[in-house]
Amino acid sequence: QTKWNLASAYPADNFHTENLAQFAKDVEAASGGKLAVTLQPNAVLFKAPEIKRAVATGQVQAGEVLISIHENEDPIFGVDVVPFLATSYGASKKLWDASRPAVEKKLAAQGIKLLYAVPWPPQGLFSKNAVAKVEDLKGAKWRAYNAGTSRIGEAVGAQSVTVQQAELAQALATGVVNALITSSATGNDVKIWESIPYFYDIQAWLPKNVIFVNQAAFDALDKPTQEAVLKAAAAAETRGWKLSEEKTKAYMDILAAKGMTVAPPSPELKAGFEKIGGTLTEAWLAKAGPAGQEIIAAYKK
Amino acid sequence: MPHFDLIQLSIVLLVFLIAILASGVWIALGLGLVGLLAMVLTTPVPIGQVLATTVWSASASWTLAALPLFIWMGEILFRTRLSEEMFRGLAPWLQWLPGRLLHVNVIGCGIFAAVSGSSAATCATIGKIALPELDKRGYDKGMSLGSLAGSGTLGLLIPPSIPMVVYAVTANVSVLQVFLAGFLPGLLVMGLYSGYIMLWSLLNPGRTPPRDPPMPFAEKLRQSAKLLPCLFLIAGVFLSLVLGIATATECAAWGVTGALALAWWSGTLTWKTLVESVMSATRLSCMIMLIIAGAAFTTAAMAYTGIPVALAEWVQGLNLTPGKLALALTVMYIILGCLVDGISMIVLTAVIVLPMVKQAGFDLVWFGVYLVIHVEMAQITPPVGFNLFVLQNMSGRDTLTVAKAALPFFILLNIAVIIITTFPEIALVLPRWVFPGG
Amino acid sequence: MIRKLLDGLYFASGVAAAGFLVLIFALMMGLSVGRQFGINIPSGDDFAAWSMAAMAFLGLAHTFRYGEMIRVGLLLEQLTGRRRQALELFALTVGIAFLAYFTWNAGRLAYDSWRFNDMSQGVVAVPLWFPQLGYAGGLAILLIAMTDEFVNVARGNRPRYEKEPVSSPEELVERIASGGGV
Ligand code: NA
Ligand code: NA
Repeated sequence: QTKWNLASAYPADNFHTENLAQFAKDVEAASGGKLAVTLQPNAVLFKAPEIKRAVATGQVQAGEVLISIHENEDPIFGVDVVPFLATSYGASKKLWDASRPAVEKKLAAQGIKLLYAVPWPPQGLFSKNAVAKVEDLKGAKWRAYNAGTSRIGEAVGAQSVTVQQAELAQALATGVVNALITSSATGNDVKIWESIPYFYDIQAWLPKNVIFVNQAAFDALDKPTQEAVLKAAAAAETRGWKLSEEKTKAYMDILAAKGMTVAPPSPELKAGFEKIGGTLTEAWLAKAGPAGQEIIAAYKK
Repeated sequence: MPHFDLIQLSIVLLVFLIAILASGVWIALGLGLVGLLAMVLTTPVPIGQVLATTVWSASASWTLAALPLFIWMGEILFRTRLSEEMFRGLAPWLQWLPGRLLHVNVIGCGIFAAVSGSSAATCATIGKIALPELDKRGYDKGMSLGSLAGSGTLGLLIPPSIPMVVYAVTANVSVLQVFLAGFLPGLLVMGLYSGYIMLWSLLNPGRTPPRDPPMPFAEKLRQSAKLLPCLFLIAGVFLSLVLGIATATECAAWGVTGALALAWWSGTLTWKTLVESVMSATRLSCMIMLIIAGAAFTTAAMAYTGIPVALAEWVQGLNLTPGKLALALTVMYIILGCLVDGISMIVLTAVIVLPMVKQAGFDLVWFGVYLVIHVEMAQITPPVGFNLFVLQNMSGRDTLTVAKAALPFFILLNIAVIIITTFPEIALVLPRWVFPGG
Repeated sequence: MIRKLLDGLYFASGVAAAGFLVLIFALMMGLSVGRQFGINIPSGDDFAAWSMAAMAFLGLAHTFRYGEMIRVGLLLEQLTGRRRQALELFALTVGIAFLAYFTWNAGRLAYDSWRFNDMSQGVVAVPLWFPQLGYAGGLAILLIAMTDEFVNVARGNRPRYEKEPVSSPEELVERIASGGGV
């Protein structure tokens, strides 16, 4: 029997982690017990920033990571966080299909075999004050944690604030941050309704978790076991996308139930963000070069 | 995974840990070696790379960066005149209580604890003046030593606190919540100490010296005004947080700024004391950081072996009541606390104990307070107890005499543990009030 | 000459570590105060985290030589003469072996970061091998300091990381309260 560890940075009750647990079970069943996968959630083995490297160097055989955290390494990894490029589950799926070969190739060069990807709920706009148009965000204390959020903050004239995810709940409670783009899932995790009354479902982007394995570890399996892994991965991908969509609905219902104003963006706000989105897509294309052009062309087809 | 193998492995690792630590290998390196052995015996992955990756990831940490700043703040304050001012400001007001000036130790340490994260520093700073002054007036030696040893440990329970930062980072809970949780239990311990001093003094009426000559009210106020800068510092750090000026981590930097301002105001801030404070804070931080780094690797190594999960399942199977588990852990921590220092105590046991207490349904923020009270006990149990070392050298008595004097206060800490285990709300009410969602 | 050079190395890296402590302080104050005036330090959290790592590792050799790296002294303190020397040498040998392994792998981590073009993940993209140099470098200097001590103890001298006995109670209180324990 071969034993694998599967590293994840998210807690055991997160829907991504629950999906991973099912994947691990499926692999063991489909391989007839020849491959046992132990899920190590909650960053017990490695924290998110280190998981890709750990898999690449064989420190752990399999892992899951929010792939966009590596966008500084290669813009290809950040295609799913280009603001307002793909703003629905359908579009996000299309974008993933268009970008998968490039991501796969980049990971393969590092000795990593990509298995599947599952999106987070769409990113919405949380704000202390009502926002009818992007100009209303001027002067807001805006959480900037990556290139995209930083650029949006600049574009709307907000004041960028650096706050770590771990301190977000407290920063919101004390007013260090009063506007941010994040998913309804995170909003739930930090009990955002205690300090932030408005949520606009702008669906700015759908970041994805990517699940991958060490290529050498995969190659060391016999053919039927490899097939079993791929089969379970395909099932997990289908299941994950469905789960994510269901969760989105559930999270937004909770936000509303807690007394938040949950609304779609006004046409004016939407137009404002789309304009910013156009600029940011151009900026991304400039960084990503021909490989990026190809992805966008395939996506827009 | 077959359980028998894990039991054998656990025994091998435990024996190896004891042997390597006993032979004088530096604790942080010993921890790393245990992780190394655990992985050699169980997994084919490249161990050295796991070592390098986990240690890097644990040390390049924003949250952890509060730790050296809290240490630096304490180092600056230790070099000010705060201790004299504390004694002269508090003494005139405590003459009427049974036990009189012995309460200066409790209250002085309690206040200093709110600006210092260290127990030894709290004990030394307050004791520097209080001990000779109490001696001069003829207070009972045992009581003044014991109350000082016990009260010094408040430095760890009342925020800020170095072991609390270490715990919060290790257990992956909010530093701020653990800080808030320590506050009321800190007051509880102060109450227990003061109550005991009063009781003792009523039972031994002949052993408390007469009160100092009365002081005019205006003079009392004038003396106490010297405490104001310290109170401003406490209030300032707290406000920077509440008003949204600083995050929980940044408020450590405000603490340093406040301490520098206080030192400058009292005229004790010289180039020499500044340099000394930075260098000495750097050394203490490096020492603690290497232990945290060793523990981070061991935590990952243990996850590879599967021991923590198996142990948590085993505890679950025992169906222990939470009270019984807490009691068992108390016994273990008291024994461990005799032999190793507080920080090592936290990180050595975290890997194994945290999954267990989570399984038993304890709140991890509450457990942080529970654990820190045991670290406090460890400060005053022989043979390795930093407060005992401090007082031994201040008073010229041997460790055993000081330990005996501290014994009643050690027992009071145990009572505090029983109280907060029975009424966990004492710890949890503040963090839940500030973070209603959890 | 070489003695002076080595001692200078330990001290200089200790001073560098202290510099990083001050840098953490400056960054945090900058973030906190800057926010009040609409000024942001992009990736200030990352820079503070790297300074933390640099401080933690660059200061190790200095901390070690100063006798502030803790260990359980119960058994050692019972021994004298040759036996004590033997146990000291054993502890140093174990330490050196582990550190050599550790340093090699920390260096390799930085090399891998360079090879993979591994970048920081915040707003400002910084190649990670750069902050990782302090990590590997600090460990390497500690390795040198320990080897230095091994040679010293093997020659029959007292270990330099063992503090001089104190001359007065005040001095010991000072020692313990400032840096000796938590
Ligand atoms: Na404290
Ligand atoms: Na002890």
